[in-house]
Amino acid sequence: MTERKNCIEISAIIPVGVRHADMAALCRDYGAALAQLGRPYELVVVLDGRYPHVSATLEELQRGGEPIVIVALTRGFGESTALMAGFERARGSLVVTLPGYYQIVSSEISKLVNALGTADVAIGLRWPRAGSRFEAVRRGGFHRALRWMTGLKFSDLGCTARAMRRRVMEEIFLYGDQHRFFAVLAQRLGFRVVEVTVRQSPRDRFEGRYRLRDYAHRALDILTVLFVVRFTKKPLRFFGMIGMLLGGIGMLLLLYLVVARLGFGEPLAGRPALLLTSLLVVLGLQLFAIGLLGELIIFTHARDIKDYQVESVIQFAADSAKPAAADAAQDHVTAT
Amino acid sequence: MIVPVYNEQDNIVPLYSAIVRALEPLRWSFEVVLVDDGSTDATLAHAINLARSDSRLHIVKFRRNYGQTAAMAAGVEHASGEVLITMDGDLQNDPADIEHFVAKIDEGYDIVVGWRRDRQDNFLSRRVPSRIANWIIAKVTGVPIKDNGCSLKAYRASVIKAIPLYSEMHRFIPAVASMAGPRLAEMEVRHHARRYGTSKYGLSRIYKVLLDLLVIKTVISFTSRPLLWFTLLALPTLLFAMLAFSYTAYAVLVRGGQFPLPVAGSGFIFAACTIMLMSSGAIGELVFRLGDVRERDFARLTAKSVGATSDSQELRK
Repeated sequence: MTERKNCIEISAIIPVGVRHADMAALCRDYGAALAQLGRPYELVVVLDGRYPHVSATLEELQRGGEPIVIVALTRGFGESTALMAGFERARGSLVVTLPGYYQIVSSEISKLVNALGTADVAIGLRWPRAGSRFEAVRRGGFHRALRWMTGLKFSDLGCTARAMRRRVMEEIFLYGDQHRFFAVLAQRLGFRVVEVTVRQSPRDRFEGRYRLRDYAHRALDILTVLFVVRFTKKPLRFFGMIGMLLGGIGMLLLLYLVVARLGFGEPLAGRPALLLTSLLVVLGLQLFAIGLLGELIIFTHARDIKDYQVESVIQFAADSAKPAAADAAQDHVTAT
Repeated sequence: MIVPVYNEQDNIVPLYSAIVRALEPLRWSFEVVLVDDGSTDATLAHAINLARSDSRLHIVKFRRNYGQTAAMAAGVEHASGEVLITMDGDLQNDPADIEHFVAKIDEGYDIVVGWRRDRQDNFLSRRVPSRIANWIIAKVTGVPIKDNGCSLKAYRASVIKAIPLYSEMHRFIPAVASMAGPRLAEMEVRHHARRYGTSKYGLSRIYKVLLDLLVIKTVISFTSRPLLWFTLLALPTLLFAMLAFSYTAYAVLVRGGQFPLPVAGSGFIFAACTIMLMSSGAIGELVFRLGDVRERDFARLTAKSVGATSDSQELRK
């Protein structure tokens, strides 16, 4: 058993949230699909919250010989944290994340894994897609907004079936709702990301309704990603631009009011214009100040937050007699 | 020796042999750190071929294009020499100049900056904007360098390694470094026209440079005193608030007229803003205290090289 554990090649991380299918059946499905690849695998099931019955059925499966690792979190932390927690236990050199419910036809997993020949991350793209016209429009709108904001073209970020090299998971840092933007973040880290069309599972249907709150959350998500992707290193460009715009408008209006009052004797009372302009000026100033604070944070912590990723350092062994600073022979040593 | 390269497949081999030719006869041992900034052409393949026969060549490969500052930062981090020299990978600098740079560092300078006296670039699109930009940068940062864009520079390793490099800072390294109060020297360098490949710069960077300049100015002059800076920012609002309040008082008490609501209201708004800005300053102090940029580190760094002769070419501090 231990020997087998040591040579695991593929780790599948399955976060189980509120929306989950019959896990025993699902794991058997996934297991069968992964076994077809002919490489030793394991299933890391992360229970994101308390699901005692799921845990019980999985333990039974475990006793039946299925290579399952169960990670039970004490409460629901959200999918991002669940993925990270699952990865801590994963031992494979390839990591596959799979949804805790039926989303893709499980035999399609091999497609994702095989796509890793040329790419670092392969994410699923469910096609043909079931669901109403309205859903398709909504989805299209979301991805178009994302593309417009970040310049990255993806069409199914909702698909949580992904395959990746271990390194991707080691370097990426997910928190909050960022698991949704896994592909975007991975691309930002310089990994090659490809979308692979997979067949959608016939049982992939979301029963709940999207409430207004969900839409608001998605919109905020996009804003977060925009900020993370574009401006974390230059907060002043982000806040400063908005601040200067608002403050500038405010200043102009203020000037106009002053001229009108002093030069032409137009009364100020009874008009809220002065209040509006001062609010604008103040808002602009404060945004600018926030941008400066951001710059200050980055400047004083620049050595901790590195904004580049080194893929490899290449140096060949010293064969002649004049090595200047010859470290040990390193060919493809990784550094971060 | 740090050379960031991005898509310079034709330049890399001649560049490397020029560097070796220039450095080999000198008495210093050297290494060359080539930072491949996510090139999409054959640059890396050529470089690996070179590295195969020469262990002094290190190649740091980026996974994608991160820009010149990141490449410099990676090179600086990886390099192990006592004196670090940066130059462009486009053969516009002449490696033969390196000798003089290192000699200057030996004299006791911490940073030696190149100055392309007769530039071989288009006059209107490159040299005029550059002249203006350099003038502004010198005025704003107070570091009178004639050519910030010249990437042939030499640094004492301990100094450059202590300076945070991020975003698009590479143009302002001497300015940022002035926090540490280093001994700066300027050297004229030869400049060649581009032989192969295309330039990766355009005019569009001016706006970014200006904002960056603003950031750098605030950062270098006020990093250690954020409260002061924010208080300065808050002064105009405080002034407005006082004006509005005194006008209100005058209108009500002296003239006994109606209470001027808009004026009093904006007075309150400005007063509130003053308080918020000062609080931001206080947060800034906190941030600075928790950060890792310490003035006493800089002081220690530059104090090490005391004994440098003062020279007519020495610029500041």
